[in-house]
Amino acid sequence: MHRRTVIKNLALIIGGAAILPACHRIEGKVSVTLKNVDISADQEKLVSDIAETIIPKTTTPGARDLNLHLFVFKMLDDCYKKEDQQAFMTGMGQFTDAVKNKYDKPFSDLSQKQREDVLLSIENDKDEKCTANPKELKSFYGIVKNQTVNGYVKSKYFMTKQVVYELVPGRYNARFPYKQKQSA
Amino acid sequence: MANLNIDSVKDRTFDAIVIGSGMSGGWAAKELTDKGLKTLILERGRDVKHIKDYPTTNMYPWEFEHRGELPVAIKEANPIVNRCYAFGEDAAHFFVKDNDHPYVQEKPFDWIRGYQVGGKSLLWARQTQRWSEFDFEGPARDGFAVDWPIRYKDIAPWYSYVEKFAGISGNRDGIPELPDGEFLPAFPLNTVETYFSNHVKSKYSNRHVISARCAHLSKPNQIHLDQGRVQCQERILCQRGCPFGGYFSANASTIPWALKSGHATLRPFSVVQEIIYDEKKGKASGVRVIDTNTKEAIEYYADIIFVNAAALNTNLVLLNSTSHRFPNGLGNDSGVLGKYVAFHNYSAHIGAEYDGDKEWTTDGRNPAGGGYIPRFRNVYKQETDFLRGYASGFSAYRYQQRPWDGVGASLKDNLVKDNLSGWKVGSHMMGETIPKESNYVALDKALKDQWGIPQLKISVAYDDNDEKMKKDYVEQLTEMFTSAGFTNIKASTDNRAPGLDIHEMGGARMGNDPKTSVLNKWNQMHAVKNVFVTDGACMTSTSCQNPSLTYMAFTARAADYAVSEMKKGNI
Repeated sequence: MHRRTVIKNLALIIGGAAILPACHRIEGKVSVTLKNVDISADQEKLVSDIAETIIPKTTTPGARDLNLHLFVFKMLDDCYKKEDQQAFMTGMGQFTDAVKNKYDKPFSDLSQKQREDVLLSIENDKDEKCTANPKELKSFYGIVKNQTVNGYVKSKYFMTKQVVYELVPGRYNARFPYKQKQSA
Repeated sequence: MANLNIDSVKDRTFDAIVIGSGMSGGWAAKELTDKGLKTLILERGRDVKHIKDYPTTNMYPWEFEHRGELPVAIKEANPIVNRCYAFGEDAAHFFVKDNDHPYVQEKPFDWIRGYQVGGKSLLWARQTQRWSEFDFEGPARDGFAVDWPIRYKDIAPWYSYVEKFAGISGNRDGIPELPDGEFLPAFPLNTVETYFSNHVKSKYSNRHVISARCAHLSKPNQIHLDQGRVQCQERILCQRGCPFGGYFSANASTIPWALKSGHATLRPFSVVQEIIYDEKKGKASGVRVIDTNTKEAIEYYADIIFVNAAALNTNLVLLNSTSHRFPNGLGNDSGVLGKYVAFHNYSAHIGAEYDGDKEWTTDGRNPAGGGYIPRFRNVYKQETDFLRGYASGFSAYRYQQRPWDGVGASLKDNLVKDNLSGWKVGSHMMGETIPKESNYVALDKALKDQWGIPQLKISVAYDDNDEKMKKDYVEQLTEMFTSAGFTNIKASTDNRAPGLDIHEMGGARMGNDPKTSVLNKWNQMHAVKNVFVTDGACMTSTSCQNPSLTYMAFTARAADYAVSEMKKGNI
């Protein structure tokens, strides 16, 4: 059943880094206010799992810690055209079916490796003519992927702890030596 | 209006009225109040107080609901203003929305507007170059429009005057076609911009790549501190309004300065319907505004009127100010009012890569944006099959390549990896367009705005000269890039409508002859001596420099003249 409800504190999403307390969840309902798309709790769980596969919790926070799936929905709802939203919904169904056909269980029950395999097989399917993955499925995955990463790199966590954003640089050095840092 | 009592008329009477509070209106207000004139500043939009009314100015990227992107519903409802590069989640509140103030496009024209105190001075790209003698002599030499009634020497001291107050950063480059000014230190060219500058200098005798000159306080002087402004902090978030006053805007500079004098009254929410012409006195007596909140029509009176509504709206106000004496618009004896509108051609770009200097990058941000290539075509003599020429932006940059490919822990690693790209270089053209009678604005005969004022009908288009110039820009820049050893050179042209350059000019042009122009050499109406037009509407030709600095200089010069004429009893 697709229903809409109101999250008690939208600021949790805006803040990005805040964690949505589990007790605020009402079973069967989506935890974000959306105007144009209806997302069920199951679908929310799916997108949350996909986002967590894209940006997993490691020694640093992952997608779920940062509520990135809610950001994906927010962007889907406001910043995509109707046809993209429709493709997203259709593609989400195709995704669920495709996983079930292949593994005989839902995405949430797959191992991290299997989840990554599923996502990479879609992401690496760049051939327009290839029909292995329907185009709606690719649209769905593309939106989840792009907005999960977008939400991540523009999260307060990332912009204060990983690649620090300066609101007030207070300098312009036109000739600055560069030596690439050794990657860890 | 019949029941007005004497006191009320007195309350509504000023020495001067300034229509518009933006780039040039702010200057008119400052100059007139500095000279002690009791001045009414009329603004059709809302008030925007410096700092207080910049709601997004200190927001971090993650604090924007959509991280900077505008919702589709807003984009689709605003196809015109959405084409402006600065119309984003952080600054959309400073732009006029398409449906709020409709206009008629006889030909496609992206009219980008900012209806608020400060106008578009909050949103401008802050590039400031003087015109040169080559620009003022252009129409006479090349046989288009009419001769400018002034030359560089007339305006040069006024450039100096406004530069000192506004704060312009730049180098003294010694280039005759782009005269030096009163500069604060320039924002330097970076390594590859410098390389290209040196290369161009060695290869071409008359081509220069210089630090872009811009209205930023690289090192403020006392006069800037006196305005309450401090040094530019290199944020490059200018379109949000700058809490430091690091760049020049009417909000940070001229308007508060005028208000501080005690002689200014600022009246926002006041759309000017028309300038009232007094047939007996043979001059303008005031203006009629409509209060946009109460819908009430109110008349204000003054000895002199400065029209600074922004180029096309100034045309609208004048065209709508009809009387027995001026049935076709105020001061329009010549019939040219609304005609000879021109703009800047920004429709070509070029990008490339440079393989060298990888041991250098930049740190911080450059408010000037990089380099500027002054016009080099047809400067000293006609040398191409098109008239006039173009200036070009030029910048070089590197960026962190952090690929979004893949998923999982490896993706997370890639997103933080230090992996700077090689140097990319880019340029865009800024071409002069030729004012023509067929490029015009007029009042629509049927459609009105929400205040009952006729909508503006815009009929402005590119011509063959623009196409040839665009082609030449692509050829010349490609040659310069190739010669400098840049690779993967890609030129692109777009089919943007005029207007998106936001440099619309003309319609009430200056000229020596009242039969072919609206304004004299003092920006004063030939036919109505107490009305001055000093915004983009006054421009006889467009040159290819960014126009705002010239509007500022014209305004200060005209205000000085107007007050001296007033004192002599001539107006």
